[in-house]
Amino acid sequence: MKIKAICGALFTAALTVMVSASAVMADDDKVLKVGWNKDIQTMDVHKTTDNYMVPLNIFDRLLEVQLNDDGSTELVNSIAKDYSISDDGLVYSFTLRDDVKFSDGTPLTAEDVEATFTRMFTLPESVQTDFTTCIKGAQDILDGKTDTLEGLHVTDDYHFEITLEEPFAGFLSVLATPTCCIMSKANLEDAGSDFGVDPAKTIGSGPYMVTDWVQNSSLEMVRNPYYWGEPASAAKVSVKVYPEASSMDMAFQNGDIDILDCDFLDTAIVDATYETPAYQDRIVRINRLGVYYYFLNEALEPMNDLKVRQAVQMAIDREGILNSIFGGNGVIVDGIYPAGAIGFTEDNQGWLKYDPEGAKALLKEAGYENGFDLEISSNSNASQNIKNILQVIQQNLQDVGINAHIENYDESSWIALRKSGEMPSFVGPWTLDYNDPSNVIDTFYGSAEATKGRSLNYPDTEVMARVNAARAIVDENERLAEYAALEKKIVEEDAAWVPLFSLQHRFVLSDNIEKFIPHWAGYGDFNCANVTMK
Amino acid sequence: MKSAVKRVISMIPVLLGVMLLIFIMLRIVPGDPVTVLLGEHYSQETIDRLTAAMKLDRPLLEQFISYVLGVLKGDLGISYVSKRPVTMMILQALPYTVKLALMAAAFAWVIGLFAGIIAAVKENKIPDRIFMAFSLAGVSVPVFMSALLLQYIFAFRLKLFPITSDGSILSMLLPAIALGWNSAGSIARLTRSSLIEVMQADYIDTARAKGLKRRSVIFGHALKNSLLPVITMMAIQLSSMLSGAVITESVFGIPGIGRLATTSISNRDMPLLQGTILFTTVVIILGNLIADLLYSVLDPRIRSQM
Repeated sequence: MKIKAICGALFTAALTVMVSASAVMADDDKVLKVGWNKDIQTMDVHKTTDNYMVPLNIFDRLLEVQLNDDGSTELVNSIAKDYSISDDGLVYSFTLRDDVKFSDGTPLTAEDVEATFTRMFTLPESVQTDFTTCIKGAQDILDGKTDTLEGLHVTDDYHFEITLEEPFAGFLSVLATPTCCIMSKANLEDAGSDFGVDPAKTIGSGPYMVTDWVQNSSLEMVRNPYYWGEPASAAKVSVKVYPEASSMDMAFQNGDIDILDCDFLDTAIVDATYETPAYQDRIVRINRLGVYYYFLNEALEPMNDLKVRQAVQMAIDREGILNSIFGGNGVIVDGIYPAGAIGFTEDNQGWLKYDPEGAKALLKEAGYENGFDLEISSNSNASQNIKNILQVIQQNLQDVGINAHIENYDESSWIALRKSGEMPSFVGPWTLDYNDPSNVIDTFYGSAEATKGRSLNYPDTEVMARVNAARAIVDENERLAEYAALEKKIVEEDAAWVPLFSLQHRFVLSDNIEKFIPHWAGYGDFNCANVTMK
Repeated sequence: MKSAVKRVISMIPVLLGVMLLIFIMLRIVPGDPVTVLLGEHYSQETIDRLTAAMKLDRPLLEQFISYVLGVLKGDLGISYVSKRPVTMMILQALPYTVKLALMAAAFAWVIGLFAGIIAAVKENKIPDRIFMAFSLAGVSVPVFMSALLLQYIFAFRLKLFPITSDGSILSMLLPAIALGWNSAGSIARLTRSSLIEVMQADYIDTARAKGLKRRSVIFGHALKNSLLPVITMMAIQLSSMLSGAVITESVFGIPGIGRLATTSISNRDMPLLQGTILFTTVVIILGNLIADLLYSVLDPRIRSQM
């Protein structure tokens, strides 16, 4: 009897709480509910290369990348109203909008821009220095010679100039990345080490502001009342952390999540549950602006032989990998640049076909008809998908007579081996940091040091010189033509890159969402102002 | 009293040893925290700068001594990843873990004692068989199984509870049951066997011979004596629950100590991991100490031995 009574009481209590909770919900304006599989570590974008969701929403950038309906991308002005570039490609002069205010009501001026960029280099634990050291004087700050940024000159409240060390046409794209979120000078000085930790002391000019953050649990954002642009559709964004994939799946089906990031679930579950008539028209697909590649070390025999590398290119069944491991959610790419990114061109696509017989013939011509031993180095911390890719590649290579075997390393040994330039072969993904071909090609072919650091050991210094020169070509068409030519030379002619594919990122929307435009690079993080509620 | 002080003092070398052990182990494990922090992006320059900023370039002995000195002042260091003080992060997570542990323990104790007593009283009869079958299931079903099952049935299917917890009492019920399930099973079994054993003692026969009712014999005489081992078990269970329930906290999204530990492992966040392990150690040592002290309070024979 007693147990029955207790159960009854509990049940009533449960109902009461739920009813009152839903009453509160109805009063509130539209709430966008988001699920993460783990918490962010910081809201301070200078201290993370990973947690971009909050920075994308609470800060503005000078420029933004806009994702068009046809999947293409373009740079558009954001809080920079206008800009011009000097003829030598060195000086960028900006005019700021004069109606931009931080969420505490103070105006955003050129001084804030200066403080932001200076902090990027003076903050000892800054991790955002890779792409911005092209600014004149940045290296001097990093070297500890000074703490003022020589290349940033404030003319007045709404005008400033950035001077580069050398011309770099991709710089505008860099300015549109989360790295270059503009912070408030007064706030930075005021908050000190609480910046990025305490929501009340982390202020930006973006469409939202964070009101509450409970570590490992939840985060809440509301509209920034002073936002200069169109107010976001959702008045409030409520983020909850779901460490278990199954909990997240159930929460979405119960209506606790509005945008489900399929990356957090097992592909098989996504295909069985959501690639179904009930959900089919609520799936949003976006190209990840990234590529998967397979790298061969040209310093090692017999990979220094062009025919051998060409044979490997032909031996890999990319269609098969894409279908069996990724459920076909991607596109085959024959070059270096991700599908949809600036620099990607159809002219360099379609030349590479899966042809095991042709691969065998090439190996025979090269004198390796009996094959050779080849190690595929595997990072034990890599995702299961990458490990599965390695298995298929191993099989494909064995099918043409190459005696490939997978060798496992723990992450830090793997990275150390790769950096030493002695890793025989490996698979990796590269996701664009900024939407410009230079981001990929500089990383891998920009210098002898770069190609050694990725265990490519590409020998052609002439090509490297061209890669560097391309950064400085001011004429956009000319520059993109040169990048296309370089791609053709490296991948098609020199077979120094075994191209695999670009993947898609899938999201499932709840009934509450009218439209959702994901981040242009296919990140899981997105700007909630790009969500339209029903 | 003297012995209690002695026990507390003997904790010091244990804690120092644990600190040294964790410190050494975390530095043997492969995976450089700076590399993990930077991901795909690294230039040697950035790595060197961060290594210096995180004081990882200092000699190990110096790192250890400054760590111990910090701990003595209540400073567990700064998290490599979030750059927040570890002490603060633990204190933020603690209320969730405490709430979960207390609710789970309450569930386990009430259900466990109730089932154990009934089973003992009705030894070898049907209620005994039923309760013992349940307690066997309680002891043997792993937490991730019971947690997922409870969540699936009561939160997802029946929609009686939220799927994940927000810290409210209602949302903590399922996790508390999932976490307390095992303990309830072992308490029931221990209570039963201990009570049955006591019921065969001579003084019970005496009480019965005095003409006392069966009910007052059980609750007045037998239960008090049979609970001694059960109380020890309860104290130890509570301390292990307080040290964080990794799986339950993950399934129900509770931001407690267990979640801190798992995230710190995947991020190679050494100060945070050291901090959570040290915290856990202290809680468990204290739990054992309290169990011992309780025992001596409850049992005069042990008190005189100490």
